[in-house]
This record gives sequence, structure tokens and C-alpha cells, in this order.
Amino acid sequence: MPEVIVQNLPFLLQGLWTTIDLSLWSTLGGTALGILLATIRFVRVPVLGTLCMLFIEFIRGTPLLVVLLITYFALPALFGYKTTAYSAALLGFVLFIGAYLAEDFRAGLRSVRPSLIQAGLATGLNRWQVLRFIIAPQAVRSVIPPVFNQYIRLIKFTSVASIIGVTDLTGAALLVNARQFYPITILTTIALTYFVLCYVLSLIGRALYAHYAVKM
Amino acid sequence: MSDVPTIEIHDLHKSYGKTPVLRGCSMTVQRGEVVVVCGPSGSGKSTLIKCINGLEPYQSGSIQVEGIEVGAKATDLPRLRSRIGMVFQHFELYPHMSVLDNVALAQIYVLRRSRTEAYERAQQLLARVGLEDKSDSMPVDLSGGQQQRVAIARALALDPQAILFDEPTSALDPEMIHEVLQVMDQLASDGMTMVVVSHEMGFARRVADRVIFMDAGKIVEDAASEDFFSTPRTPRAAEFLSKILTH
Repeated sequence: MPEVIVQNLPFLLQGLWTTIDLSLWSTLGGTALGILLATIRFVRVPVLGTLCMLFIEFIRGTPLLVVLLITYFALPALFGYKTTAYSAALLGFVLFIGAYLAEDFRAGLRSVRPSLIQAGLATGLNRWQVLRFIIAPQAVRSVIPPVFNQYIRLIKFTSVASIIGVTDLTGAALLVNARQFYPITILTTIALTYFVLCYVLSLIGRALYAHYAVKM
Repeated sequence: MSDVPTIEIHDLHKSYGKTPVLRGCSMTVQRGEVVVVCGPSGSGKSTLIKCINGLEPYQSGSIQVEGIEVGAKATDLPRLRSRIGMVFQHFELYPHMSVLDNVALAQIYVLRRSRTEAYERAQQLLARVGLEDKSDSMPVDLSGGQQQRVAIARALALDPQAILFDEPTSALDPEMIHEVLQVMDQLASDGMTMVVVSHEMGFARRVADRVIFMDAGKIVEDAASEDFFSTPRTPRAAEFLSKILTH
């Protein structure tokens, strides 16, 4: 292993841990938000459904960095609370990835054929029960590939947090590089690290899909 | 309750946008009756029976199931539907659940039976349709005929007052039609009230009390089964019969 990496290993590992930690919580939060937004839009809750749609379109039309700047600078100023770079990044990622996940989940909900919904209703299940027992379980299975694609994108997106001052893997690498200047070694190392993280996640996604996909 | 017909439809009108689908249908199904509804495609047969359990809304007229108006705002549709089973053309088993879970689901969440009771009952019903050894299978691993028999077990699981069949054999290969019809014959002889949209004239002749012939959104003929086959009253029905029987 190159000397500059060995020398700074504890620091870089701490950065890696921040990246994993941030990815994990953003994934969980984003998934919860995505499911909530998708459900509200799917069952067409009046007003609230439109608000969700506007939120999703807003996020989809806004650069990630701008979203993080909003959660770091604008929201605290607007609502008068104090935040840290880490919390602001976490909030930004949850909002950002949640909006994209919402559209994937909604596509999954809509992919369940209407006659199957009729079959559930015909047995006396109410709309919520049909959603819970018939539509959602199939939707979740069918959206595993696109959802894992979002999770993988999210791991890479977390590097943007370094710009608002989070010492994630990228942030740590930039600091090391600023001190010792070995750009090729350092950037190759972190690029490979991101690649491994993403590849492992991709394998997990594939395995889950192979196991749970609904055969029709 | 015995004097109230199981299903009573009066002057039912329904349209999709500006296209009329049902144009004044009236019919009555008494308890224990087997009624076969036939007619050319697009005549409104499937729409008619989907109106009976409120899967399709209607614009005017009335449908009463055991005296309860289906289209009334106050009607508890899930409750009404739980009293009327339905079997679909393409089976519509829940593909992510085992056969046993398919039959147990509504028992647990609609009838509030305990899991033990629901699974016991499901197992009994699977035995009744000849599929007791398939309870752990997934729907995709069954043949069409087997899937349709599971669908019948699922409908029976709610102990319904009547079962609606929407072309239950028209998606099946000829050799599988037989196994499904056998189950339906058995149901009929057990006294189940049945409304069957079907072109299976053999089944109609064997077990139907009445045959209803529909054309262009209207009930053209509503006759006792033997009369319908021996002396259809309308030329339209006679023409349809001659086509379908010589085919």
C-alpha cells in the first residue's frame, strides 16, 4: 500500500466510516420518505398528493449541491435553528434520494395489474388492506433493481457532502491531499473504495431480486 | 330473509363515458339458483356481473343483494362483497403468496377468523377442489385449471351466499376446462347460488336453472334452461346458439 495511505489510514478510515454511516441513514430515511410520498400520490390524497408531486419535481430539477446548500444555509436561517454539516447533509440526502425513490416506488405500485386489485376487493378486503397485502408486497419486489440503483447513486452522492465541510471519505482525502499532495494515489484509492462499496451493494440487490422477484 | 331474492337487478344502466354498456337490464336470482349469462362479446355480460358486487359503478337503476342496494352511499361494500364470491377469467391469484395463503387471506382480515381456523378451512377447501397436495405451491407453478380451482376455493372460503363467475373457463386449454367444470357442477348440486358468465353450453344445459342471453347491453332472453335450448324465443338468440353449438 502506498505510504501516504498507510500514514493517514486511521484518518481515511474515519472518513470511510462517515461515508458509510451517512449513506446508511440517508438510505433508511430516504426509503421511508419515498414510501410515504409514493403512497400519498398513489392513493391520490387530494391537495397533499399535489404537494408531494411539486416537491418531487422541485428536487428533480435542483442540483444536489444546491439542495445541500439549502439544508446547510437556507433552512437554518429561515427557521432559526442550528445545524451541523453532517446533519444538513443527512437531511439533504434524505430529501434528495427520497424524491427519486418515491417515483420508483410509485411505478412499482402502478405495475400491479388492476384485475388483481379487483380480485382483492371482491373478497371484501378494503382499499388499505388491498394496498398492504396485495399491491405493496408485489411492488416492493418489482422495484428492487431501480431502488438499489438509487442506493448506489446515493453512496456516490455522499461525496458532495465534503463541499459543505463533512469529513467523509472524499473530505478526508481532500484534506490529506492538501497537506501532502499525492493526487493520483489518493484519488485512485478513494475511487476504488467507492467502487467496492457500490459493487457490494449491487451484488446484494441482485441477490435479493433473484430471491424475491415474483414469478408471473 | 328467505323471501328476499339473493340478487335483484332493476333497469340497470351503465356507460363508459358516452358509450352505453348496459341499457336497462333487469333480472332476479333466487337463493340456490344457477343462472348462466351468455351472449356475444361486448354485450355487457362481464360488466353486468361486476356491477353486482360493486366492482363497476352504475349510473342508474338498482341492484340489491339480499335486499341491500349496492350503489347506495351508505352501503358497506367490503362487507357486501364478502358475502358474494367472485371467480375471474384469468384466475387472479395473488402471485406472491402460496396457494394456502391465497385462500386464507380474506378469512383472516375480512371475516376475522383466527389463523389456525383460516388455514384449516383453507386446507379443507383445497381438498374439496382436489388440490390438497398443492397448498404450499406458488400460483405460477400450477396449471391454469389448478389455478382456477384455487380461485374457486378462495371464493368459497368466505362462505358466500352466491358466487359470480366471469368466464371461468375461457382462458383454459380444453382438457383443463373439464376439471374446472366438474368443481362447478359439484357446487351447483350442493345448492350454491351461482351466476356464471360462460359460453359453456354443455354446463348451462346440465346445471343451469335459467339462461340469460344478452346482446348490445340488453337482456334479450331470460328463460328456463331447457326452454332456451329447445325453443329460443328471439331470432338473435337462435342465431347465437346455432353458431356456438355447431362450432
